[in-house]
Amino acid sequence: MWVPGVGLLSRLMLSAMTRAGRFCILKSGAVRLMDVPAGNRRGLSDYYPHLMPSVGFGKSSSRVYRCRSETKRYITSPRVAETLVRILRGKRKSCQLFLECNPGPGILTRALLESGAKVIALESDETFIPQLKSLGKKVNGRLEVVYCDFFKLDPRSRGILTPPVMTSDMLFQYLGIEAQPWSKGAPLKAIGILPPKNERSALWKLLHDLYSCTSIYKYGRLELNLFISEKECRKIMANPQNPSLYQALSVLCQIACGIKLLHTESCLSFGTYTANGQLAKQKHRESLEQNLCFIQLTPHRNLFAGTLTPFNYDVFFHMLRQCFMKRNAKLIDHLHSLSPIDAMHILKQIKKNKDVKVIDMYPEDFQHLFETIECSKDDNYKWLYDDFMEDVII
Amino acid sequence: MSAVRWGRGAAGFGRALWPAGTPGLLAEEGALGGVWGRKRSSTASPCEQDRRKDWGHAELLEVLKARVRQLQAEGMAEVTVKRVAKRVAVARAPEAGGAQPPRQAPAGAKGAGAKGAAATLSSRWAQKLDSDQQLMEKRKQRLEGKLQKRVEKGAWQKQLRLEPRLLSRKLASQLQHWEQGAPRSPWEEQLAQLLQEAPHRLSSEAAAAPADRGPESRLEGQQQRLLSFFECCLLTGHLPLAHHVLVTHHSKSQQQRLLTLSMYNMVMLGWARQGSFKELTYVFFMLKDAGLAPDLQSYAAALQCMGRLDQDAGTIRRCLKQMAQDGLQLQGLFTAVPLSAEERAELLRAVRKAKPTFTPPRPPVPPPQVNTSPLLREIYAKDPAVSYPRLHLSLKELQGLFQQQLRVEMATTITVESVEKVPLLTKEVLHARKTLAGLRTRWRTALYRELQETKESEAHAAREGRLSLFPYLCLLSEKEVVRMLLQTLQALPAQGESLLFLAHELGLRVFKRKQLRNEVQELEQRYSKYLHLLASDTQVAEPCLPRQHWEALGVPEAPHEQPWPMSVVVQLGKQLAEVLVRAAQMPSSLAAPRSPGTLIPVLYHVYSFRSFRQIGILKPHPAFTQLLETAAERTLTFESTDVPMLCPPLPWTSPHSGAFLLSPTKMMRSVEGSQQHQLLLERCPPAELHGALDALTQLGNCAWRVNGRVLDLVLQLFADKGCPRLGVPAPPSEAPRPPEGRRAPNRCLLPEVSPAEKAEMRRELARRLKVAREMQSLRADALYRLSLARHLRHRVFWLPHNMDFRGRTYPCSPHFNHLGSDLARALLEFAQGRPLGPHGLNWLKIHLVNLTGLKKRESLQARRDYADELMEDILDSADRPMTGRKWWMEADEPWQALACCMEVARAVRAPDPAAYVSHFPVHQDGSCNGLQHYAALGRDSVGAASVNLLPSDLPQDVYSEVAAQVEVFRRQDAEQGVQVAQVLEGFISRKVVKQTVMTVVYGVTRYGGRLQIEKRLREIHDFPQDFVWEASHYLVRQVFNSLQEMFSGTRSIQRWLTESARLISHTGSAVEWVTPLGIPIIQPYHRDSKVMIKGGLQSLTFSSSVDTSQKPNTLKQKNGFPPNFIHSLDSSHMMLTALHCYRKGLTFVSVHDCFWTHAADVAVMNQVCREQFVRLHSQPILHNLSRFLIERFCSDPRTSKSIWVSRLMDTLLSVPKTGTFNLEQVKHSTYFFS
Repeated sequence: MWVPGVGLLSRLMLSAMTRAGRFCILKSGAVRLMDVPAGNRRGLSDYYPHLMPSVGFGKSSSRVYRCRSETKRYITSPRVAETLVRILRGKRKSCQLFLECNPGPGILTRALLESGAKVIALESDETFIPQLKSLGKKVNGRLEVVYCDFFKLDPRSRGILTPPVMTSDMLFQYLGIEAQPWSKGAPLKAIGILPPKNERSALWKLLHDLYSCTSIYKYGRLELNLFISEKECRKIMANPQNPSLYQALSVLCQIACGIKLLHTESCLSFGTYTANGQLAKQKHRESLEQNLCFIQLTPHRNLFAGTLTPFNYDVFFHMLRQCFMKRNAKLIDHLHSLSPIDAMHILKQIKKNKDVKVIDMYPEDFQHLFETIECSKDDNYKWLYDDFMEDVII
Repeated sequence: MSAVRWGRGAAGFGRALWPAGTPGLLAEEGALGGVWGRKRSSTASPCEQDRRKDWGHAELLEVLKARVRQLQAEGMAEVTVKRVAKRVAVARAPEAGGAQPPRQAPAGAKGAGAKGAAATLSSRWAQKLDSDQQLMEKRKQRLEGKLQKRVEKGAWQKQLRLEPRLLSRKLASQLQHWEQGAPRSPWEEQLAQLLQEAPHRLSSEAAAAPADRGPESRLEGQQQRLLSFFECCLLTGHLPLAHHVLVTHHSKSQQQRLLTLSMYNMVMLGWARQGSFKELTYVFFMLKDAGLAPDLQSYAAALQCMGRLDQDAGTIRRCLKQMAQDGLQLQGLFTAVPLSAEERAELLRAVRKAKPTFTPPRPPVPPPQVNTSPLLREIYAKDPAVSYPRLHLSLKELQGLFQQQLRVEMATTITVESVEKVPLLTKEVLHARKTLAGLRTRWRTALYRELQETKESEAHAAREGRLSLFPYLCLLSEKEVVRMLLQTLQALPAQGESLLFLAHELGLRVFKRKQLRNEVQELEQRYSKYLHLLASDTQVAEPCLPRQHWEALGVPEAPHEQPWPMSVVVQLGKQLAEVLVRAAQMPSSLAAPRSPGTLIPVLYHVYSFRSFRQIGILKPHPAFTQLLETAAERTLTFESTDVPMLCPPLPWTSPHSGAFLLSPTKMMRSVEGSQQHQLLLERCPPAELHGALDALTQLGNCAWRVNGRVLDLVLQLFADKGCPRLGVPAPPSEAPRPPEGRRAPNRCLLPEVSPAEKAEMRRELARRLKVAREMQSLRADALYRLSLARHLRHRVFWLPHNMDFRGRTYPCSPHFNHLGSDLARALLEFAQGRPLGPHGLNWLKIHLVNLTGLKKRESLQARRDYADELMEDILDSADRPMTGRKWWMEADEPWQALACCMEVARAVRAPDPAAYVSHFPVHQDGSCNGLQHYAALGRDSVGAASVNLLPSDLPQDVYSEVAAQVEVFRRQDAEQGVQVAQVLEGFISRKVVKQTVMTVVYGVTRYGGRLQIEKRLREIHDFPQDFVWEASHYLVRQVFNSLQEMFSGTRSIQRWLTESARLISHTGSAVEWVTPLGIPIIQPYHRDSKVMIKGGLQSLTFSSSVDTSQKPNTLKQKNGFPPNFIHSLDSSHMMLTALHCYRKGLTFVSVHDCFWTHAADVAVMNQVCREQFVRLHSQPILHNLSRFLIERFCSDPRTSKSIWVSRLMDTLLSVPKTGTFNLEQVKHSTYFFS
């Protein structure tokens, strides 16, 4: 089919199906032309090699519903709980509001409550809920328990949402929390442990939400206090000085938030539960020897003060992912497939020489690079990226 | 010195056949600075035309040589430069010649002498050296070593290797012996002796080689690549290159394992065609060396060559004798080996020398092959005499049409004017067009250049013994490739195209174009004779089917070529795409008016991410897209095989010949990259396929025309604002505008707008873009269809058909055919008309009511009466479709209803409606056809009644019945206090369950069924949405239960099929079966195998599920079997109906289970349809299946001990029991198809 100009946009999304070929439906809803059976599209041969990379969508949706079989970590040691309360509360006596994600047996919850804070417990495992609720009854209203999975708020695949998966709007309305402007502080602090199996996707999701000002970040600059594996922690705090750890996630995290390492704790102090609240035996010794880092992620107040806004953040994301795909390549090579603007010209503007490599660029450099291209006056076409190439994460 | 020797050898042969012999000299030419005057005249191949890359190499040589000279001058003055150079050349010879130097030297006395001389020379030098010069000498040696290496390498690149390096010492010494000991003894002698040597090592390939053709053979990707490489080399006349690569592979034991007998044979055949006996003998040596036993093809090649060279009888006799000893039949040479007429003559000449009386067996006159299927007995019965339908066109007209179609196909693409509004030719538009034209000229030149450079580097790679793309790139002329690439650039959508997809497209295109057949003249004559069968004004001696007639007109065609392996297709396409990326450039001023006039690329390679995976995309510069848009060239270019044909298609005579005149088309559109279907079909006795071949031919022979009035109306809407409700997509101008596009994000940059607002703006933008995109893709689809329709208006055209792997038939042309939406169907009508006859008008009316979707459960009489009641509305719709009461717009299928209104109006206004000639197709639909087949298979009485297999006064509706049954269950549960059941009260309707019931036959699972029902429930507004999930879950369970209740036989058959497939898959095979009409079917579901193509723009990885060397994918095999099996049954039913209708002189086409014919013939068609259904199911279908599967999968003694096989055996033996339904009743069921 040789046809000028007008393209079938849906073509781009090659499907995972062998037969439907180019006209398949994937997430963003390219239209399937129902009137011609898929097998009929291409006369003689109806096969297109399917891209392996394209399977992503389907999986994501089903994964959301498979949450119940995941293992989770919970704070089981009162000592740790005390330490955390000390870190979080300091000497304050005021009634602070905490959002605790997956409190599980509620050790930390209890400690927080004892320190006089108010707690909203979002628990994704039904087995813990009665226990938590009974705890709530004792503290006259300072504990609210919601059956909800914090890390799966606002799934991308909108279908039917059944608890514990829900939207942030549902949650916040239920809690009666109003959205705060970005420049104001945060209405609450969240505490949680990143799901051990997919810390990275959880982080990517949080960053997406943050940069796009959606989901929980629609309600203000939420401060997150998270336990994260030491490995990941070192990665997100990396910069060109430790190039082996440096990656797109590091840049995005550091541009978006202030990252503070509050505490380090051995894995041994946590309990791991499988579904139904069963205490799982910890099998892998390595995982036990690992440490978990308690970090604080506070979104920058002036994150959106410049050129980077929730409107164009996706280009920034795309740029970084593309660059870090070949981290050791020269930046100039990447620029060729990012923007039609003359790469040398851009480099001159950001005052880098032409041999600069991706891993030599500090996070601020990337931001500067992005702003330079986005603000370039001369060219009508600044990016090769378009919405069609929308990054899909998780 | 080998080159010199070759020169002699060839001269001794009396003919210089060895074009690449000269390149051998060339290597030295470089080294000697052009001492040799003789130029390589015979090597016209482009690979050597430009040797720029070698210049650098030559320069380095020059430097090294100078250094040697310098050292020598210091060391010994008497040694001349020339000598050194000579020595270098001499020293090189053994290396270049082969692995065993000793057998090289004596080949010519001169060579040996030279070598000896060289040896003495060096010793003399050594003697002469003073001790203080020893250091110098060492340095010199080192340098010389370097130089030598360079020279060798150079030669290696330049010289195509001819002489084999044999791994077997014995053979090697034989070869050597012959070469030196008896220089005069003719090569033929050696070949004869060689033939007598029994293969001393039967390698695994030798055992595998004869099975090459069998479906079991698992040619690995590498082998396939090698084979297609050789094939391509032969095709493009690069035989020496093929030989070279063969030798290179042969000389490395690792690579030798990849070589199969057919590869040696192929190269041998190439030499035989050229009459180059020595090279042929070399291949024979290698073949022996590999431990393979020559087969008929090898002998045919050898004999053919002898025939060409006019050899004496003795050699040939010995050769024949040996052949007999190997157990090969002389006759077989003429029957089993595909030969061209000329080759045949040469072969015969050789054989006749030895056996003057030999007469070759007649080319296998197609024996009167008769299909044995009991179902088809009547079709092929000679009596009673039948008169098959003829076209309404005269011979002359048809011949003219043939010429038109031929022209289209020879041009390979066709340009059609688009139906989009023609833009005003403003200055801007004209300027853009001019710019584009200028750019295209520039690109053309650049593409030529890039293509040549690519070819050159690929040729270079081939000469190093790698399987490069060189021969593939030579398949099409450069002009054609350039044109193809320019079209690709033109058609690239604005948002880009995945590189993998593009590469695959391009590769396939090359493959398809190279296949175009070229005996146009022969075809023309034959086709012209063939038309005598179809034309309205001619006679044929005996009425017969088109295929029979065609076969009677000539010999069967040569077997088709093997498809290329996927990796080759993609690699080639990628190479071409890269050429395009490199070549296409435009001035930067197009993008940024104020920029300096440098050139910038038009195509960019960008990445997109899907989750954590990345996809490479080729994307045009937005400015280029803009330019195209402005230029608004309103033409569309289609491949000639993507549009309907202008003359009756060639009848299907074999699985790979039929349909289009020049472009080969496969009868079974199997999944690209898999050969299993093709192999099965080819192995199948030809007569077994007659049913399918004739049915496809018949479907393709239906002549069509465009319904002009409907087209006009649609075009009017299309050019205006579209009408999505009627299926006419709106133009992009109707799409919601982006609020403020990404290109003007002023507001988005304002600091005072809060982030949350910006996020909202972004969402809004995304939403609108999405809508716009969807509209655009719908619009484009309609644009192709309508443009083609307008192009074909006032013409008669044909839609050639082929089938999918289950036997379901489809038209070959994808954009414009009768399978499409309501709109697409309404645009088509039969080109041939038939008078309505006494009942035709009634059927038109009934059809009209059917199209409205009303009165589904009323009798035919009631529907007709309803039409009469509405006659006023109908006439109004026909007369004033857009201005009147617009009754037709409310119909389920509005456009078809409108077309039908017009037809009814014309018929009732005709003076005699019965004589009115109607072109209008009337449809008859099977009611839930899948369930009909299941019910018949299981002889389910209840089920049969609900899908209208039983005669009844009113049509039954299975969906309503299922809904009723579900309601019964629900009420029971509600009484038990089940909450969901109570909530669902009053919500269970036909509509809720319909889709699930329909698809349950085709294997929808509970999961899928639930999603379907959930969707329906969400559409019901007053349904409490909180319960949707639970309710849908509950309902799908009840639907399945109800079906279980009603179609008890069905479920057990389904389970039996599933279980059998599961077990078959566990035994490691894909499920195969044969349809009642004899079409072999295999399910192409295997575990994914990954192929990676590295280098270039990006590495491409793709996975293919059709690799037969992979284990079957059990899940897919198991889930796919029941629906695929039912589809193979419904296609059999359709084909039987088609064939019988044809025999009765009807026009018949189908959309799977929807049968079309003229209004006058509906009753006849219905009768045929019912009869054939009964005939089909009177066969013991399930028992036949069980027998076939046992035979196929359980009879191998090697595996019979496996636990899976014994379990499979048990399962297969317990064929599900059937019910008591009496099949004969179907014959009287009015609403079976209605």
